Amino acid sequence: MKNLHFVFTLIFGLAVFLFFGLAYPHHLHYQEQYQLFLFDSTYVWDIIKLPGGFADLLGRFCTQFFLFSWIGSLIIGILLASIQLLTLRTVSWGRLYGLSFVPAFLLWYFLLDENALLGGIWAVLLTLLTSCIFDKFHDGLVRRVLLIVFIPILYWISGPVSILLLLLQAPNPKKTVKYYGVFAIFAALLVVLSLFIPVAPKSLWYGIHYYRYPATFPTLLWVAVLSVFILVLFTRCLLNWANASSRYIIHILSFVLIFLGMGFFLWKTSNFKAEKAMQYDFMASHQQWNRIIETINTEKPNNQIGVTVQNLALAMRGMLPDYMFQFNQNGMAGLLPDVQSDATSPIPTAEALYQLGMITVAQRTVFEAQEAIMDFQKSARCYKRLAETNLILGSYKVSRKYLMTLQKTMFYSDWANETLQLLDNEKALAKHPEYGRLRKMAYAKDFYFSDRVTPQMLEDLFLHNKSNRLAYDYLMASYLLTGDLENFANSVGWGEKLGYKTIPRHFQEALVLYWSLNHESNKMMSAQINPEVAQHFRQFVQFLNSPMASQEGLRQNYGGTYWYYYSTIKQ
Amino acid sequence: MKNILYTLLSLLLLASCAESVKDAKQENTQPRIYPDYLGVTIPVNIAPLCFSMDDEKALCVDAIVTDKHGHELHSQGEESVEFDIDDWHDLLNQNRGESLNITVSAKYEDGWHTYRPFSIQISKDSIDYGICYRLIEPGYEVWSKMGIYERDLSSFDERALIENTQFEGCVNCHSFNRGNPAEMSLHIRGPHGATLLRQDDGSVIAYNTKTDKTLGFCVYPYWHPSGRYIAYSTNSTSQLFHSAHPNRVEVFDTASDLQVYDVKTNQLILSPLLKKDDVYETYPVFSADGRSLYFCSAKALPEDSHKLDSLHYNLCRIDFDPATGKFGNRIDTIINAEALNKSISFPRPSYDGRFLCYTLSDYGQFSIWHHEADLYMLDLATGESRPMTQANSKDTESFHNWSTNSRWIVFSSRRDDGLFTRPYFCHVDSKCNVSKAFMLPQRNPRRFYQDRFLSFNVPDFIIAPTHFNGNKASQVINNKYRKDFVVR
Repeated sequence: MKNLHFVFTLIFGLAVFLFFGLAYPHHLHYQEQYQLFLFDSTYVWDIIKLPGGFADLLGRFCTQFFLFSWIGSLIIGILLASIQLLTLRTVSWGRLYGLSFVPAFLLWYFLLDENALLGGIWAVLLTLLTSCIFDKFHDGLVRRVLLIVFIPILYWISGPVSILLLLLQAPNPKKTVKYYGVFAIFAALLVVLSLFIPVAPKSLWYGIHYYRYPATFPTLLWVAVLSVFILVLFTRCLLNWANASSRYIIHILSFVLIFLGMGFFLWKTSNFKAEKAMQYDFMASHQQWNRIIETINTEKPNNQIGVTVQNLALAMRGMLPDYMFQFNQNGMAGLLPDVQSDATSPIPTAEALYQLGMITVAQRTVFEAQEAIMDFQKSARCYKRLAETNLILGSYKVSRKYLMTLQKTMFYSDWANETLQLLDNEKALAKHPEYGRLRKMAYAKDFYFSDRVTPQMLEDLFLHNKSNRLAYDYLMASYLLTGDLENFANSVGWGEKLGYKTIPRHFQEALVLYWSLNHESNKMMSAQINPEVAQHFRQFVQFLNSPMASQEGLRQNYGGTYWYYYSTIKQ
Repeated sequence: MKNILYTLLSLLLLASCAESVKDAKQENTQPRIYPDYLGVTIPVNIAPLCFSMDDEKALCVDAIVTDKHGHELHSQGEESVEFDIDDWHDLLNQNRGESLNITVSAKYEDGWHTYRPFSIQISKDSIDYGICYRLIEPGYEVWSKMGIYERDLSSFDERALIENTQFEGCVNCHSFNRGNPAEMSLHIRGPHGATLLRQDDGSVIAYNTKTDKTLGFCVYPYWHPSGRYIAYSTNSTSQLFHSAHPNRVEVFDTASDLQVYDVKTNQLILSPLLKKDDVYETYPVFSADGRSLYFCSAKALPEDSHKLDSLHYNLCRIDFDPATGKFGNRIDTIINAEALNKSISFPRPSYDGRFLCYTLSDYGQFSIWHHEADLYMLDLATGESRPMTQANSKDTESFHNWSTNSRWIVFSSRRDDGLFTRPYFCHVDSKCNVSKAFMLPQRNPRRFYQDRFLSFNVPDFIIAPTHFNGNKASQVINNKYRKDFVVR
């Protein structure tokens, strides 16, 4: 039977591993992105000096491996499988064996939320482990004294979920009332602590760092914690019945029932939309422009992050002017959205700003995004970008500060060491393929900016360096997306020296539309306009004037053209 | 606990770099150390001036401090020298008003180098117990973890008064009456916004300072020497960011007024002279005798104008009668900075009434983001004004204030790296001679300042530990009750 249980646990762990590895890998990347684990005594001390700090430290340590999603999946698989094994040891489950998977499944649910932190999982695991160790002791004075001693220790290691130790170690139901007097000690401990620890007092009761939002109660984590106690109590009540039969088939059935039931709900409650958005952000952060284009060809993004990244990838590959309207667009909000005061949405925008050469704007955007991380952690990705922007802007001392901190990380230290060599080295920087290029692109003329990137800012950027094709493409795209055909027509000629062999398709579409609206259709015969585009436009006009004209008809026949987009924004 | 860890760590470091300086090459130059303590004047009760070699290539650094009486203090470390705190204080006490010589040797890959000794002057003037400051990342509009902290200047002990982990929001504008923590003002911003006032009885009360007759919440505070009044500005503040300029941000007012709060009667005292629509008035401070109110004043910009470089604040003054709480009927311009195409911020009169220290920048009033900002001293007896050259640097000098004996100034400077603000101190004697400034001492200063990504915001003296209970204060903050300011 023991081997059978082990096989089931293995199946469960494997399912967790495959789920996070195949279906949820970018949630892991997201988690890694919003922390900066440092091998530094001050960093470690700042974590472990708070209740639950040791579990938090272990969680953060493991989270740094989430940079590689398969390793992250393996870690989560091992942790949840271990929790199931420890739950299994708390009582003789018998026929109710399948229930021993419920807490681990609930923690799996908990981890579906990108703001659920691994420290919470470690806290549960360490508490169950302690409880299992206590189970080895016979009831008596030594055990009781040890229990009293371990309450504050475990509270400091794991935080308030350590209350599970008290719940599980109840000697027997008859003595529970007296035994639960120990809770008074627990409560008194928290009240005293709240006088000294500089955190919101309520977080001492529900956990300082189980969840990224300090003011949010981590409901699912607590449901999982309490489920251990409730299920154990339930099984103890039915102990004789539960253990009346030891037939394999009962165990298999109870496992299959729980596995399929909870697995089904888990799959249904998974946030695959968020996963997709995170995937786009991940690909942008790793500058995987071709992979982004492959992905958008399979499924057109329809959220702000996806559209922003899609447009950036198209622009980076010089495809924006020819293909942007074959994908979903939502005005400037999909090109360069206004900077919001949260940690997530500005990051892809900052990537676009950086690639464009708006270094000061990108720097401010990244800095603000990092400041907005709700649990006050720092981000390796943001530190890298801040080091880069300061490097490009010549603020070497500030860049060095970020780089020296990144030297204390496991996975960014090599990059930091390499980049440190560029500080104060003007020649090397000028030759650098990325920083040298961006330095030339960066603004030379000073002006004020705020939360919104305007076409004027893009125009200034391009006019400062007329080889900045990305700036040109974004400027033209901004005119097209806002329906500003007048400025588009006046500026499109700036692209002549940028290496375009012909006018890009969407630009041609916009030009013929502009001429048509201004009664200059004769210009359509210009050699710069592809006869096919001109012919297609005539058909579009005929369709518009036909009795069959409808928005759906337009979408079906002209959905990939600028004309269709223009018709939607002018409705 | 942290102190124990530091001590153990230091012992470990000391053990790993405990060797005698042998066959040292004698250098003709003085050492380049971090922080630069060469030739500084320090108070007798300051914490040990630990330092590292500036170039970071040194494998070991050794320092011997000697005085004229034959006393000697020795320290050696891999990264930094760290003097025993008790021995350091003994040595300083034995040399009050005299100087100490420091001989530095550094071990590099090619062996030991011994540099020409440098001296530090021990002033007879002591410095206040400590300083209080806000720690915050030098950012724009969003904030991460931050709080108000106090630091004992005779040791390395730092303690949080309150942090934003205890409530939702941010905290700023800590202010004390001549460094006395019994009389204290503090603003909370965000969903639990309030102004906290602590008076002699130690209780903390949360106030709503916004009234229908003023611009908004009270902002920059300054206590009247009697403790009965607090001068506040009210500011409608905005931010814009530079696209290509060494200064990253402009923080500016689109409107601002002044008023005085009567702590005893819970009344705001207004004056039409201090709330003109066409003038921005800000940074009010009482004179040492409490009979004048100094402030900065600039012509308002036209609506929606972003010609921020045309905002020039002058230093002005108006009479104030502490007995009646009434203002005079005339505003005097003390320094016409506009005529110099400059702008004044943070006027701070010395408590002995002799001088007024202020910040001068090219324009605007938020000088911390202006690399050109420097400290200036106005002699209130002669009306003469001059730059504090010895204290200034090529980079930003901004907020500052006096010690209660009016002999020391603490000020914020970005000279270290151009972004992160650090506290510096300088001595000012009775003839207005200003000494070279020195950085706030730390146990291992290079590591400390490298690792800390926070600016020391508004460093101000305190004469004793604040004993501010952040947990109780956070209960007051999280409670919805606010006592309203009433307009007289």
